[in-house]
Amino acid sequence: MSDNPVRKFYGWFTALGLVVGVLVVVAYYRDEYRPWKDYQRQYIREEIRRATTPDQRLIAQNTPLQIQQIILPELNRVDRCTTCHLAVEDPSYGGYPQPLAYHPFHDQHPFDKFGCTICHRGQGRATTADEAHGNVAHWDEPMLPLKYIQASCGQCHDASDNPAAPELARGQELFETTGCRGCHKLDGVGGNIGPELDKVGARRSPDWLRAHFLEPAAVTPGSGMPPQKFSEPDIEAIVLFMLSQTGADLPSFYASMKVIPSAEEGRRLFQVKGCLGCHSVGGHGGKVGPALDDVSLRRAPEWMMQHFRDPQSVSPGSVMPRFGFTESEARALTEFLLHLRDQTVALSMPSLLSPADRGRGVFRKYGCAGCHGPEGKGGVPNPNAKTAQQIPALTFVADSYTKAEIKKLIFNGQREIVPLDPHLPAPPLYMPAWGSTIKDAEADDLIDYLFSLKPKGEDLGF
Amino acid sequence: MWLWFAKTRVGRSIFRVGLPQSNLERSQAMVSSFLLHVQPAKVNKHSLRASYTLGLGLISLYLFLILIGTGILLMFYYVPSTSQAYDRMKDLQFVVSAGLVVRNMHRWAAHLMVLFVMLHLCRVFFTGAYKRPREFNWVLGVGLFLATLGLSFTGYLLPWDQLAFWAITVGTNIAAYAPIVGPKLKFLMLGGNVVGQEALIRFYALHVIVLPAIAGLMVMIHLWRVRKDGGLSRPDESGDTVESIPLGQLPTNKSYGLMELARGTTPQVGKNPEDEVFSWPHLIFRELLLFLLVIAAVLFLAIFWNAPLEQLANPIHPPNPAKAPWYFLGLQELVSYSAFWGGVVVPGLLVSALVLLPYLDRKRAGVGRWFARERRLANTIFSICLAVAIALTIIGTLFRGPNWSWVVPWHTPPAITEGH
Repeated sequence: MSDNPVRKFYGWFTALGLVVGVLVVVAYYRDEYRPWKDYQRQYIREEIRRATTPDQRLIAQNTPLQIQQIILPELNRVDRCTTCHLAVEDPSYGGYPQPLAYHPFHDQHPFDKFGCTICHRGQGRATTADEAHGNVAHWDEPMLPLKYIQASCGQCHDASDNPAAPELARGQELFETTGCRGCHKLDGVGGNIGPELDKVGARRSPDWLRAHFLEPAAVTPGSGMPPQKFSEPDIEAIVLFMLSQTGADLPSFYASMKVIPSAEEGRRLFQVKGCLGCHSVGGHGGKVGPALDDVSLRRAPEWMMQHFRDPQSVSPGSVMPRFGFTESEARALTEFLLHLRDQTVALSMPSLLSPADRGRGVFRKYGCAGCHGPEGKGGVPNPNAKTAQQIPALTFVADSYTKAEIKKLIFNGQREIVPLDPHLPAPPLYMPAWGSTIKDAEADDLIDYLFSLKPKGEDLGF
Repeated sequence: MWLWFAKTRVGRSIFRVGLPQSNLERSQAMVSSFLLHVQPAKVNKHSLRASYTLGLGLISLYLFLILIGTGILLMFYYVPSTSQAYDRMKDLQFVVSAGLVVRNMHRWAAHLMVLFVMLHLCRVFFTGAYKRPREFNWVLGVGLFLATLGLSFTGYLLPWDQLAFWAITVGTNIAAYAPIVGPKLKFLMLGGNVVGQEALIRFYALHVIVLPAIAGLMVMIHLWRVRKDGGLSRPDESGDTVESIPLGQLPTNKSYGLMELARGTTPQVGKNPEDEVFSWPHLIFRELLLFLLVIAAVLFLAIFWNAPLEQLANPIHPPNPAKAPWYFLGLQELVSYSAFWGGVVVPGLLVSALVLLPYLDRKRAGVGRWFARERRLANTIFSICLAVAIALTIIGTLFRGPNWSWVVPWHTPPAITEGH
C-alpha cells in the first residue's frame, strides 16, 4: 500500500520517544551524580598527593567511591557523615578545611560506638550537606552550633561532675541558683506555673532560648516569666544547659558509661554506700573504722584505690568488707577522699549540716529564689500584684507567721493573688502548692532557713 | 533490527504475524495476540477521536500500570513497621539507586490516577455513555473509582511521617461518623482505636495485595465489557451493532454459530464499513503514543518535584490543622460544619446516586455527544454537584488554617514561635 497508515505516526513516535529518552537520561544523571562523590574524589586526590611509596599510591588510587556509614542499632541511628568527612579519624588531617578535617578529642567516644549525630545532631542518614546538617524543612534536629556542643555532654553525663564541660556545669549552677525550678519542672522536681523543661533542648533552638531568657513575653505572648538579667557568658551557659535537656532515653550501654569519677560522684557514693556507718567525718559517724578527715595526708591515691578493690590486700586484718566497687566508682571515692580536707566538700554533706543550712539547700533545690529572689530578698516583678507589683520577699516571715502557718502556706500554695487594680489582668505568678513535692523533713529545714533570714538585731526594738 | 527479528523463526513463533502489511495481517495481528485481542480488529472512527474520550480512561489505566511497576520496586525496600518505615523512606532518598525517583513516580502517579479517574467519570457522564447497554460497566467504573481512592488512601499512611499519620487519623475519624457501624469500621481499619503498628500493617496488606487485586480484576472486566457492550459509546450506534443474533439464523451446517451463542452487543458484520478502520495501526499506535506521553509526564514530575516527607509520625504532636488527603478535603470541610451530614449523609447519597444513576436515567437520547441538549437537566445537576465538590475541596485545601479557621493562602501566616 502506498499510503502506509503507519507512516503518519513516525514523527510522533520519534518526538515522544526522544522526550522519554531525555527524561530517563536526566533521571539517571541526577541519581548518579551525588555531591558526596566530589568530596570523596577530593580526599582520594589528597591521599595520592601524600603517598610516599608506590604501594600507598596504588591503595589511594583504588579507593572506591562508596557510602560510609556507622550503624548504631542501640541508638537507632545510622550516621553517614563520614561519607563526606572521610578524615575524621586521621590526625594528619588536623587543621584541614571541612569536609576533610580531623576530629580531635574523640578518644573517650570512639566513632564506631557513638557515631556523630548523638553529639552534633543533624540528620545522620542524609548524604547531602543541607539535609545532613539538618537545615531543611521537616527535620527538627539541625546541627548544634559548635559553641553549644557541651550541651550534648549533658545528655549522658551529670552536668556538675564533667570537668570537660565547664559551661554546662555553669549553666546547671545558674539553673539551680536562679530558681528556675520554682516554676518549671525538670526531672520531676519543680513548680507547675511554667512548662516542664525535660525535653526543652529538643524542642527549642538556641536562638529561641536566648530570646526567651532576655524577654520571655516577646517569644511567648502572655508569658508571666520575669526577664532574666544574665551576663553574656551566663546567658550562653544557661542556654547551653537548656539545650542539654533533650529527654533522650539512652540505651543501657551508653547509660552505664556515664559515671565520670569525680569528687562530686564520690560524695554521692560515700553517702549511698553508708560509709558513715563505720567511719566518721568532722566528728559525725561511726567509730568502727578510722576517721577519714585527713586520710589524704596519710594515704596515697594508689593505696586508696587498692583498698577499695580489696581492703585486706593493703590492710591485713581489716574488717571492712569488699564492696565490689567498679573501677570508676573506686576512682570517684578516692577523688572524694583526696578532697575531703577541702572544707566545701565536707560541709556539703547534708548529715553534717545544721537544719538552716540544709534548708538553704532545699530553698535552692526547689527554685524558691526564682520568685522570691536570691536569699529570699525579693525584687521579682509580678505585674498588678497588690504587694508593690512584686513577689514578696521572705526576709521577715519570722515576724508575720508561725512555723505551722508557713508550712501550711508552702504545702497548699496561694492560687489567688490579690490584684492591685481589679480591672487589669490578674497577676501572672502565684504560689504553687508544694505539698506533693517537698518532703516534710525538707519543709522543716526550709522553714528554719527562712527564719534565719531575718537580719540579726532587727527584733531588738520590740 | 526489530523488524528483522519479527521475521525470523523465533520471532514468528512469538509474534505469529510479522509487522502487518495487508489488511488480513492487520486483523490477524490483533486477533492472534493475547495482549491485543481484548480489542477488536476494527474500530469505529468515532472511538479514535481524542476530542471525544480525551484518552482519560486509558491514561488512568497507564497510571495504574506505572503504579504497579514502581510499587513492586518500592516493595523491595519497604518494611511495614513503625520503627523502620520512615527510615526506609530516608534511605530511598539518600542511598538507594533511583530510590527517590521511583518513589516520586509512585506518589505523583497515584495523585494523577485519582484525578484522571475522576475526570474519566465526568467524561462518561457528560457524554451520557453510561446508558443501556453500558449500565453495569458504569457501576464497575464507580467501583474502580472507590478502589482508586482506597488504594491512594491506604498508600498515604505507609511513609509513616506526620503527613501520613495525621491524614489517616483524620480520614478514619470521618469514617467513624457513620451511624452504628462507623466506630466499628474505624476499629476494623486501624486494628485499634488509634493509628499505630496494627493500622500500618493492615494498610500495607490492603495496599499491596487486596486492593490492587480487586482493582486489577475490575479493570479487566471493565475493559472486557467495553468490547462486549459494543465498543465505546457513539451517536446512532444502533445502526451498526446488534444486541445478539437469534439462534438458528446463521447457515445450518453447524448446530450453532459462535456469534449466536455469544451474548452482548457486537458490531454487525458488514454494516457501515466506511466508518471502521483497522485497529492496527490506528488504535494501537495511538495507544502507544499516549503511553509514552503519560510516562514522560510522570517522569518529568518525578525528576523535578520530590514526594513530600515530613517529620517522623508523632502521635502526641498533631499539626494544626491536620488535613486528610486532598481528595477527602471536601468531605473534611463538610464535616467541619456537621459530622453527620458531611461524614455520612452526603458521601452516602453521592455514592448511591452514582451507582444507581444508569438505572434511574434511562432515556437513550443524547448518547455519544458532549453536553447533549437532550441531557440538559442531568448535566446541570451533575455540574452543580461537581462545582460544589470542587469548591469545598479548594476551600479545604487552601483556605483552612489552624483550628480549621478561615485563612487566605496568599497571606503567609504569622511566624510560628516554635523552635525551628
